[in-house]
Amino acid sequence: MAGRAPYVELHAHSAFSFLDGASTPRELARTAAELGHTAFALTDHDGVWGSMEFVGACKELEDCGEGELRAITGAELTVELSEAQSAAPYAHLALLVEDASGYRNLCRLLTAAHAHTRDGAQRSGGQPSVTLEQVEEHAAGLVCLSGCAGAGMLAAAWERGDAAGGARAARRLLGAFGRERFRIELQRPFWRRDRARNRWLAGLAGRLGVPAVATGNVHSHGGRERARLQDALVAIRLGMTLEESEPLRRGNRSSTLASPRKMAERFADHPDAVAETLRLAERLEFDLSRELGYRYPREEDPGADRELAELCRTLLASRYPARSPHRPEAEAQLEKELATIRALGLSGFFLLHHDLLELAREVALEVRGRDSARAALPPGRGRGSSVSSVVCYLTGLSHIDPIANNLNSSRFLNEEVGKTVGATMPDIDLDFPRDIREALIPRVHERYGVDRSALVAAFPTYRPRGAVRDLGKALGLPQEEIEKVAGMVGFHERRGEIAKDVLAAIGPERVASPRWQALLSLCKEMMGLPRHPSQHSGGMVISTRPLIDVCPVVPTAMEGRQIVQWDKDSCNDAGFLKIDLLGLGMLSAVERCVEEVGRTRGESLDLSRIPYDDERTFESIRAAETTGVFQIESRAQMSMLPRTRPETLDDLTVQVALVRPGPIQGGAVHPYIERLKQRRADPEGFEAPCEHPLLAPVLRDTLGTIVFQEQVIEVAIALAGFSAAAADSLRRAMSRKRSAEAMRGHHDRFVAGAGSKGVPVAVAERVWEQIQGFSGFGFPKAHSAAFGLLAYQSAWLRIHRAPEFLCGLLNEQPMGFYPPDALVHEAQRRGVQVVGPDANRSRVLCHVEPIEGELSVRIGLGYVKGVRSEEMEGLLAERERSGDYAGVADLASRSGTGRDGLERLAWAGALDDLIQHRRRAESVSICHGFGPSAPAPGSAAGWVGRREALWEAGGAGIGEGVQMALPLEPPRPPQLKPLSDWERLIADYRSFGITLDAHPLGLMRDDLEQGIRSSAELEREENGATVAVAGFVVARQRPQTANGVVFMLLEDELGTVNLVVPPPVYERCRAAVRAAPLVRAGGRLERHEGTTNVVVSAVAELSIPKDSAQREHGADGAPGQPSSARPAKPRKRGASRQPLREHAVAELRAVAPDAHSWGRRR
Amino acid sequence: MSPGLRRLYVPRSARVEADEGGRPTTVDGAPVEAVREEWVVEDRWWTPHPLGRHYFELALADGRNLVVFRSIASGRWYRQRG
Repeated sequence: MAGRAPYVELHAHSAFSFLDGASTPRELARTAAELGHTAFALTDHDGVWGSMEFVGACKELEDCGEGELRAITGAELTVELSEAQSAAPYAHLALLVEDASGYRNLCRLLTAAHAHTRDGAQRSGGQPSVTLEQVEEHAAGLVCLSGCAGAGMLAAAWERGDAAGGARAARRLLGAFGRERFRIELQRPFWRRDRARNRWLAGLAGRLGVPAVATGNVHSHGGRERARLQDALVAIRLGMTLEESEPLRRGNRSSTLASPRKMAERFADHPDAVAETLRLAERLEFDLSRELGYRYPREEDPGADRELAELCRTLLASRYPARSPHRPEAEAQLEKELATIRALGLSGFFLLHHDLLELAREVALEVRGRDSARAALPPGRGRGSSVSSVVCYLTGLSHIDPIANNLNSSRFLNEEVGKTVGATMPDIDLDFPRDIREALIPRVHERYGVDRSALVAAFPTYRPRGAVRDLGKALGLPQEEIEKVAGMVGFHERRGEIAKDVLAAIGPERVASPRWQALLSLCKEMMGLPRHPSQHSGGMVISTRPLIDVCPVVPTAMEGRQIVQWDKDSCNDAGFLKIDLLGLGMLSAVERCVEEVGRTRGESLDLSRIPYDDERTFESIRAAETTGVFQIESRAQMSMLPRTRPETLDDLTVQVALVRPGPIQGGAVHPYIERLKQRRADPEGFEAPCEHPLLAPVLRDTLGTIVFQEQVIEVAIALAGFSAAAADSLRRAMSRKRSAEAMRGHHDRFVAGAGSKGVPVAVAERVWEQIQGFSGFGFPKAHSAAFGLLAYQSAWLRIHRAPEFLCGLLNEQPMGFYPPDALVHEAQRRGVQVVGPDANRSRVLCHVEPIEGELSVRIGLGYVKGVRSEEMEGLLAERERSGDYAGVADLASRSGTGRDGLERLAWAGALDDLIQHRRRAESVSICHGFGPSAPAPGSAAGWVGRREALWEAGGAGIGEGVQMALPLEPPRPPQLKPLSDWERLIADYRSFGITLDAHPLGLMRDDLEQGIRSSAELEREENGATVAVAGFVVARQRPQTANGVVFMLLEDELGTVNLVVPPPVYERCRAAVRAAPLVRAGGRLERHEGTTNVVVSAVAELSIPKDSAQREHGADGAPGQPSSARPAKPRKRGASRQPLREHAVAELRAVAPDAHSWGRRR
Repeated sequence: MSPGLRRLYVPRSARVEADEGGRPTTVDGAPVEAVREEWVVEDRWWTPHPLGRHYFELALADGRNLVVFRSIASGRWYRQRG
């Protein structure tokens, strides 16, 4: 095949040459095939990150009949040169894999190249490189090309005028690789000295008796914009502007992929070097998709079948005692699963997972402590389809009884599916609290060997905000403009919409400038390209042989962690067993809550024994009072809950699965809710309608709709006669990105299969539409059962252990749908008391403490922004050691906290109590005639405290790292004006991101324009009324499934308001919808089945009407006089106050916590 | 620009004949003996004055060495000091 084209490309970079290559492996493969290439080598810098994807893309082209392209595996390696070798520190060599030993050597070289890239204290990524000696040691099975025109080992030496040095290096490489496997590389980048350089290189090749070979050093697959993007990527990588990076960029578009014919023409002066590409390519037969020799531990253990069976049968007796009604069914199911596991040779796979769980149990005990209230909890929980397996349940890999919950394990374990070609291993995903997961990963390395275990890689891709920031800097755009635009494009979206955001942010005149136009066109090209390697959220690969023989392993920024160079899809394609050890924020929050309950109430809470039919819990769920509750706290879930009205855990299982893109796009949601209502109205007479009677048994439980992922398989089997393997192939095609062609094939088989069962074409097409709409973005029932249980447990804790639950959530941020400020306000509205940070009371984390007999949440010092962690730890350690601080000066001298830290603590109110303490002490003295009387804590004069604390912090504090032996008593403060409510609010937001007292809208209410309704007033308005509302934006959401509708959640002093922003309003008001922290909205009130929304016709940034500011106001224009006590409730209208000025609102905008935003990504 | 200053290396228009492959064969009537080097500069595409030039370093039959370029945008030829 390779002989047909006159040239084979043997040197090309994809976007996995991070911030250098400008095209994905898929784009390169497709374009290469279109241009007539028959073989193609991917040689990314110091990595094979994209190799498996490239191999997959080539196979896909062949499978789809769109061309034949043979993938050649290789990499361009950076070699560190000694001073004796060269004046330049590094040079490049391109290595191509000839056989399996060459692949092993490449992996080892790449591993070695990265081994020292994280050696610094900061562990920031350094330049990967190997020495020439290392290359010489690992030369077997590799073909060495002498490197690129700019930095290649020989060409660069010649460019520096060191032709002799270049020749010496060539002889060393010849010595290592021999004449058969060393080639001198000629490139034609259309630089000024190309001809002279190539003449020298070709002459050197002749003298050494090795062939020269032509290569293209491809960096993009095609098009002017990609070549420009490549320029910009280089500037971004170097941290320069395009102007500054000019000498270091390629300078023209010649590195764009060209056809074999054009490449042959380009090297018309060197026809032998062109012909050599073909000869070499024919020899490079190594196929990455073939057996790499990977084995997981216990995979070939001959005793595994017996061991697993004995383990499960022993555990069955305790999980299903003889009196259990489920015992016979459990026994039967166990034997069935064991038989399937034996047939598929997976006993070792389950035992490995069991071993890992036992390891996790040890780790959990160490992390939690033996006496902790958490000690009774299992180390982790199962998720995904494995939860349906009784073997998983018995071995602790799942916490859900699959028999009692009627879960079907055929999706997880299926002999027919498991024996099909290309079948992957079943997935067992385990959720752990974050702290246990952190400790477990290094322990896995310890247990199985650092060279035999690693995390799976992930590749964060460019999104609009990152693209705007990176490109903006490279293009030299003003930082202010970049940030303004970046703030607008933070969540979403379709590619074309960035232009609208830029227009809304900076106006048409600026948008028209060439640099902004360049940014807009490059943004489109940049979306979805990988930016840098990262670690997967939990996937680990464990191997019996050194992993570095099958995939390079590189250290990560986190100490003790390393990743393979492949992501989960590539690992899957390579046949690696990926074990998911996931960190689940809610699990951590729940565990923290349990621990806090144990500490504050002395109660050992066993979550498996809480009542699962608690009426108050279900009432709160049905009323959509689920802020902070796992899985059912989103706006979409909240709008659904009053309509679905869950009453049992089974209902929650469906609820969790229902609000997913699959059921929504598959058109399941509204029919399901309607049918639920009909069934509630007539439980006896209701019968779920189905598209066809064949579907009735499959979809009965979900009222004729497809809600769970496995129902897709069941529908394909029942209606179209698919085999289990074919149906599973359909499921996998739906869940993979690269599957459009495969889906078309499944469609044809589905309609034909249904036809053969007598199903009309129209019915088959309708059902197919539902399947296609579902597209794999749905939960398996087993997974929903696991998540539904956690949803209930968190809802129960929210109701029955409210302070501890809030505390758990605050300590696990970021997580969930709501920012901490909103979580706190919602809890306060339910009567949970939350108090601010206090140097004598707070810990680093938030905790619960009794205050006047009421359990209250104390904000931790960790929330105070900018205080260094060692200062905080020092402050707490000293307090533990020698007792409470007597004042600011005492704190400064004993803890060593510097002035900056003290001032930040003072601004956060964490030193208020120290001032009160001093004043109380002075008041005792006053009784004896020495000074002014002390105010009561929380009294009006108490708010002077924060100013006084600042005064004292300024006087008592010294620079960082200097600790005074004796307290430096600051001078007594002068008469200071107390902070107003508004000033305190601003200080709270600025210093710890939460306001605990007056709500901004409460303070602004009297200054807002007439007619704006509060959230409480809204509840009294008629359905259909025209209303105006205002509030703090807590969340914005633009779901992919909502056809461009944006959902916003506003918060005011009394509650929250849901806004529904239709697309035309969004287009008109996008700046406010996207970025404004405080908005005013007008529209129509819609009340429907327990939910209230305002469908808005206009949204604008909230501002203060001018006539308000012209009224009487204070010196600083800020509202709010000092109150006589901390106002837990909003100010009443008409109370004496000063009106608000716009600049004060602007100050609030600047410090307002970011709303959480979700939505369309691409 | 003040009257006392002048730009250095300002490209000057040249009369160039080229073959089918776009390589110069004559410059201002003088035959081209050989193309010594050939290179391309495409840059500053993000500014109002993008640069796109296809350069040739030539040896003329009369013994002179010369650098000419073709503007990629306009197709016009210029000569420039090498």
